[in-house]
Amino acid sequence: MASVTISNIKKDYGALSIIDGLDLSIEDGQFVVLLGPSGCGKSTLLRMIAGLEPITSGEIAIGDRVVNTLHPKDRNIAMVFQNYALYAHMTVFDNMAFSMQLKKRPNEEIKQKVGWAASILNLTPYLERYPRQLSGGQRQRVAMGRAIVRDPTVFLFDEPLSNLDAKLRVQMRTEIKELHQRLKTTTVYVTHDQIEAMTMADVIVIMRDGRIEQIGRPLDVYDHPANLFVASFIGSPAMNMLHGEVASERDAWVVRTDELSLPLPPGAAVRPGQKVIYGIRPEHLRPVANGRGIPARITVVEPTGPEIHIFASLGNTAICSVLHDRMEVSPGAVIHLEPAPERIHLFDQGSGERLDKGRS
Amino acid sequence: MESSRAQTIARDVLAILVVAIFMFPIAWWALSSIKPYSAIFDRSGPVYTGFTPTPDNYRVTLLGVSRVDIGMEQGGEAAGVIKGGASSYDSRQSLLDSAIIAVGSTALTLLLATLAAYCLSRMQFSGQQSFLFWILSQRFMPPIAIVIPIVFMFRDLGLRDTYTGLILVHSLINLPLAVLLLKSFFDDVPREVDEAALIDGATRWQTFRRVVLPMVKGGIAATAVLCFIFSWTEFLLSLFLTTSIRTVPVKISTFVTSTATEWGYITALGTSAIIPSFIFILLVQRHLVRGLTLGSLKE
Repeated sequence: MASVTISNIKKDYGALSIIDGLDLSIEDGQFVVLLGPSGCGKSTLLRMIAGLEPITSGEIAIGDRVVNTLHPKDRNIAMVFQNYALYAHMTVFDNMAFSMQLKKRPNEEIKQKVGWAASILNLTPYLERYPRQLSGGQRQRVAMGRAIVRDPTVFLFDEPLSNLDAKLRVQMRTEIKELHQRLKTTTVYVTHDQIEAMTMADVIVIMRDGRIEQIGRPLDVYDHPANLFVASFIGSPAMNMLHGEVASERDAWVVRTDELSLPLPPGAAVRPGQKVIYGIRPEHLRPVANGRGIPARITVVEPTGPEIHIFASLGNTAICSVLHDRMEVSPGAVIHLEPAPERIHLFDQGSGERLDKGRS
Repeated sequence: MESSRAQTIARDVLAILVVAIFMFPIAWWALSSIKPYSAIFDRSGPVYTGFTPTPDNYRVTLLGVSRVDIGMEQGGEAAGVIKGGASSYDSRQSLLDSAIIAVGSTALTLLLATLAAYCLSRMQFSGQQSFLFWILSQRFMPPIAIVIPIVFMFRDLGLRDTYTGLILVHSLINLPLAVLLLKSFFDDVPREVDEAALIDGATRWQTFRRVVLPMVKGGIAATAVLCFIFSWTEFLLSLFLTTSIRTVPVKISTFVTSTATEWGYITALGTSAIIPSFIFILLVQRHLVRGLTLGSLKE
């Protein structure tokens, strides 16, 4: 087990810069998720840690050892790929034993290690099968087994669950998390799925265009997104964003939009006339009785079972509310919604940065 | 889409018809090889069944029995005049020559082509696209255009009329196709498999030899079949580059003599020549079907 320290790392493909001066330090035993839309450089970063992608400049250290020029096999890492990348012509046993066979470990040790990994991953009955005879989830487990038999210092996962169906994905998510709790190996996990990131990570690293937008614990990132990008990327349905201008009304700050004025909590770090974006998560927009709140016309109602998603229009702005209680609502009707004032997020319209960063 | 019973029948009938059209020449060839001379040249029309099958054509071509001896068995006029002697229709050496050259050139082609194809599939180097086009361009030229220079070069190098010479030439002609074909099979193996092996501690060579190569077995088998068949049936270069070594196609051409065309021997040797290719294909067939469809199927 080891920490991973990435300092001022850069990656260019010719004139194209993929990652431009990124710093990240991952503590020993942490489960870190790199999250971001496709093309944000998260997979490239992972592949640079693995040694599969050369580094343009900067430094990557695993433990105390700078690994910039080390061959992948000398970094003592293990990687699980999106498409499993199993050796199709080898049995499950041989797939897992391959790395130890290459190191010419004694047969007894190989058998014992593979047996141990197989029992953790419930693969014992399948050791003599070939990958093509296994289901998607089992293949994924073989890929993980191949990784854990080696006792690596760092686990690297590159979108390992995106080829699985939804139900299996939830199950494997739990299995990977359990595995980490059991082995406590430093893990770097790449995904574009925010639910995976939220549920599995000790620390989420949100990336865009080769830069880190925010690093934090899942709930901190959710509750205090550092900027507009993070706020809109994390959370589903996405956060409501209302453009407006700060004004003073009856001794209190409000945000005036085209249609309405939204009260701000006391002590908000704003100045009058400031152009801001008023963000409120759908679940913090609750229905209230007539005469209060924001009147909005319902356009679509989506019951999901535990929740009801209500999409409504506010003049030209679409907003969304998530209700946890059953409620008779139908499209076309007017619903009154009230934001929970302590749950609002304010962002600067120009920079997109969060305005009360210091307080969070 | 469900097809009706009538459609199914129509499709089957059509399939049988098409197969029959393709099979007929081969069947006729095989049939002629067991006909006596008189049945091959019956003036009243094609003979399908009305003859007594005879192994004589095979005995002459495959067992080296002299046609004179066969004539004597039948109490012919030549009895007592000439006995035995080597038959110029004895083709056993030709079958051996062809086998050595076909197996040799297939092995050499595969050895070079797998290595080249793996590099072209996995590694980046400048001029890669031009190099690929250059490989393909080797097929643009008809073999007749290179025959004369090769004859002179081989004479100077001492390669004329040698197994090595013909193996080299057949390999050269097969290489472009083999490289391009195998490259497409290597391309079908995800790069991540190589990367997983590299992380597992394999060197480049171990990755190639122990991981990727076994995964393209089907492609190698398919390529091997094509190379083998080409070499087995190649006529032009074999004719020009050899004198004492006679591959089967060249040997068959000598059965057309100034006095007669020995259809019986031609069909017997021709039918026999199909068999090695057939056996070879049967051996690799298990991989062949998978190999030919590997690229189009997603896991």
